Amino acid sequence: MKTEADYYALFEAYRAGGLTAPARADVERRLAADADFAQQFADFTELTTTLHGYGTRLATRRKLHAIQADMDAEQAVRLEGETLETGIPTMPQLYISPVERKLRAFWGAHRATAMVAASVAVMAVFATLLGLEWWRTAQRPSLYGYTVLRREVERIKQTQKAMNRAINQIDGAKPEGELNPGKFSGTGFALTADGYLVTSYHVIQGADSLLIESRDRQRFRAEPVFTDVAHDLAILRIKDRKFNGFGRLPYSFKRGTADLGEKVFTLGYPREDVVFGEGSLSARSGFEGDTAFYQISIPVNPGNSGGPLLDDRGNLIGIISGRQMDMQSAAFATKSSYLMRLVDSLSAAGTAQPYNMPRTSQMTGTSRRQQIRKLQDYVFVVKVYE
Amino acid sequence: MGKGQPSYTDEEFVAAIRDGDDRALAQLYRLHFPMISHYVLQNSGTEDEAKDVYQEGVMVFYEKVREGSLELSCQIKTYLYAVCRRLWLKRLTEKTRFGGRLEDHEPYLETGAEADVALAEERDQRFATMSEALELVGEPCRSLLEGFYLLDKSMQQLTAEFGYTNADNAKNQKYKCLVRLKKLFFAHYKEEESF
Repeated sequence: MKTEADYYALFEAYRAGGLTAPARADVERRLAADADFAQQFADFTELTTTLHGYGTRLATRRKLHAIQADMDAEQAVRLEGETLETGIPTMPQLYISPVERKLRAFWGAHRATAMVAASVAVMAVFATLLGLEWWRTAQRPSLYGYTVLRREVERIKQTQKAMNRAINQIDGAKPEGELNPGKFSGTGFALTADGYLVTSYHVIQGADSLLIESRDRQRFRAEPVFTDVAHDLAILRIKDRKFNGFGRLPYSFKRGTADLGEKVFTLGYPREDVVFGEGSLSARSGFEGDTAFYQISIPVNPGNSGGPLLDDRGNLIGIISGRQMDMQSAAFATKSSYLMRLVDSLSAAGTAQPYNMPRTSQMTGTSRRQQIRKLQDYVFVVKVYE
Repeated sequence: MGKGQPSYTDEEFVAAIRDGDDRALAQLYRLHFPMISHYVLQNSGTEDEAKDVYQEGVMVFYEKVREGSLELSCQIKTYLYAVCRRLWLKRLTEKTRFGGRLEDHEPYLETGAEADVALAEERDQRFATMSEALELVGEPCRSLLEGFYLLDKSMQQLTAEFGYTNADNAKNQKYKCLVRLKKLFFAHYKEEESF
């Protein structure tokens, strides 16, 4: 009996074709007749084929590894910066770093979103700019109102010191022509027929020289005679030689206090021309409850300071002084009783010639137009030079 | 192409590789590697995984060509792409439970790659079993068999190497080893097939 190993020797010889013709025929006959023998042969064939295949596979793998190693080496050389002519088409994706790869992947995935977001951002920026411009245009009804508004906003934004100064201005002073430094102007009116005038103290504050200009462009030099800082009053006297008196004053001065709701009006020079303003007496105290002032509902502007405030019958009841920034048409005027007290004390001191004040008003009972026609010759521009 | 290498058409590649031209194989390998590398990298793979998958893919192609059983109905490039895609998909599924979602830039073509890959898998299985059996068969059988069948050494060489008195002794030893290997191999093989 042959061992299996002997059969294997026979099979190998048979497969290799190393058997003689009779032996070969014998094997073929047994393969056809003997199932066990055939099975053994099949197993042997499968085993050797697999072994050969495995060998080939390993060889191929080594070959491919070698090729890959070659490529890696070339790539490493290229990465070192040497340019090497190779047969590989250059694929930039091969050499990108992991970080860059992630960025690329991110960009690839979110490119569309990013584009849309960028467009929206650009649109938003331009829409905002256009909208803002449109809004600002709509907010500017006129150049005059706009500049005034801006000036007030700036004042509010200033420091505590500036705020205090602003309150002082409201309380007592209103320097005119702030945009024209060194030269201010206000309003003044005649106190007596022989050349005394009244204006606000803050108009002439810090003045070197004063010029009085009447409605018909006549100019007189004047000098301050007395000032009352607390009540924002100043008395001037015309010192020109050519001046020969105003004539009789059409209004009288009220010594008492006017009533609430009284119709009042004023003339002033907030511009180059004389401007009429009308309203009512709204309170018998001024800024922060100051009892030396009235609150009146006349729209006044810088330049109205020192103007006369008269009631319906032509009595002078106050001198325009200032206004409150953050309130609608709240202006303040010094009460005429304080002016009278000042005149009385000056007369009692007996400095110069006595003050001849008119006792009665010529304007009582006349229409407002006639009253203004009479009054306008006695209201002047006070120009201040520093 | 650089290096003065001849450039091949697809038919020439197949013919040259069938005839055992290693230069043609190397060139083919280099030619299509960037594509697969790019594909794997795009689909959450690494550089090394790309190399592995590509080598597997080329192996399938190479063995089919060597057997002469390759029926190419498309470009080599497309065939390789389909095979590697298949292989990478399998790997991804093994790697992660949620794998298998692939970002395809080219429509999947009917290349016959599916069947080839299945065949190659079966063969892989067999080779793995063989490898295990070889591990188990023990020395000096393993070296002897590897020397003869895997490394294609002649019996004379092996006789000298292993110190047998003559070639017949070596041959006898080899056949005994082969019988042992057979038992181990078929035991494993059948066992695995029964799964």
